[in-house]
Amino acid sequence: MIYFDSAATTLEKPRAVPRASAWAMTHLASPGRGGHAPGMGAADLMYQMREQAARLFHVGDPERVVLTYNATHGLNVAIHTLVKPGGTAVVSGYEHNAVTRPLHAIPGVTVKVAAGPLFDSDGVFAAFERAVTPEVDAVVCNHVSNAFGFIQPVDRIARLCRERGVPLIVDASQSAGTLDVDLEGWGAAFIAMPGHKGLYGPQGTGLLLCGGDAQPLLYGGTGSLSARQDMPGFLPDRLEAGTHNVCGAAGLLAGMKFVSRTGTARIHRHEQALARRMMDRLERVPGVTVFRGGENQSGLCSIVLDGMDCEEVGEELARRDIAVRAGLHCAPLAHRTAGTQDTGTVRFSFSAFNRPDQVDRAAAAVRALAGGAKR
Amino acid sequence: MVYYLIICRSLTYAQRTAQVLERVGISGSVQRAPKLISKEGCGYCVRVAERRLTDALTVLRREGMAPKQVFLQTAEGEYSEVKP
Repeated sequence: MIYFDSAATTLEKPRAVPRASAWAMTHLASPGRGGHAPGMGAADLMYQMREQAARLFHVGDPERVVLTYNATHGLNVAIHTLVKPGGTAVVSGYEHNAVTRPLHAIPGVTVKVAAGPLFDSDGVFAAFERAVTPEVDAVVCNHVSNAFGFIQPVDRIARLCRERGVPLIVDASQSAGTLDVDLEGWGAAFIAMPGHKGLYGPQGTGLLLCGGDAQPLLYGGTGSLSARQDMPGFLPDRLEAGTHNVCGAAGLLAGMKFVSRTGTARIHRHEQALARRMMDRLERVPGVTVFRGGENQSGLCSIVLDGMDCEEVGEELARRDIAVRAGLHCAPLAHRTAGTQDTGTVRFSFSAFNRPDQVDRAAAAVRALAGGAKR
Repeated sequence: MVYYLIICRSLTYAQRTAQVLERVGISGSVQRAPKLISKEGCGYCVRVAERRLTDALTVLRREGMAPKQVFLQTAEGEYSEVKP
């Protein structure tokens, strides 16, 4: 099978990842719940995982690395901490439902959309300059659009937020593991990311990097200050109620070690080269629209075929053993901004394990479909 | 043997404390804080040898990690708080 759906979940993992998770299942217990060897072993692993993440994402203190279930979980914590009922948030025009739905769920929140044209970094930044005003409680922006691979100008947006004293939440779901994600450099209030995409960990893992205080979403046991009924005031305990996903954390640690060893820049170049190869092969095919940026596009290629529903294209490719993602990618706002809300797109997203010959085979399959499409 | 127990607010903080000490050659083991001295419920501490306490406290203060409480653990298993 050719798997080009890594923007959803990377399927092929470094061999150490499943090995580490399986080992943890039968050798490690719950961190912070006992002084015995399996409990302390789990504690050691969790600390190593936090340290690895702290190094990778420029977090000065491993205590500020919180293990979550996924990026959505982290984004919910961040948004509910900073945006209160009746408040105001600014989001980019390329946000995922993981951002827009939590905001929608808070009563009376005003959401200002700082939308700029697709792959127009200056246009996006100008929109943020207009939207980030003193009454704004938080800015939420993804680093890379999951629908189009548009690398948004987060460095500049972060500087703007610092200058205007507005907290910034970054959704690094599509950039963690391929681009520089920098909690301290950006001065972000929070950065959320999944463990199962570019960090090559198992599903059910994510990280929330905290630049400041946070309000818990879940309440319960933490293995600390047990005599008290309020949640501990310190991280990570404040946000990690209940038993940890230690098996997931073990796999995530192995995945992050792979990313560190390989180098995020190298992985990014590899994936970007695959995406460009795919776009080179498709953009002159009649009936195929390719959404192409420049340096500000990550390793992802989104297309539309005239006369064919994107879901039909996805199904046809699946029949040929090529896995892609079609539709709105849980990002209707991004598709509205790009003008593709009615058609959706077919998305090819790559990982460190994909090869150029796979791209060529998939491109040939799309060409064949385009040739047979009703126009 | 007599040890000192440096009480930490959380397991992660205890691990960080032990790591900071380890970097300067002071061995400290992370362990559950005895119930007798852990008034707010489950807690963790870093145990250091008696002769290393002064150095340990100096290092931790330098790192901005001065402990809130330190207990002396006697050979008989009794605890008494010391004011660092």
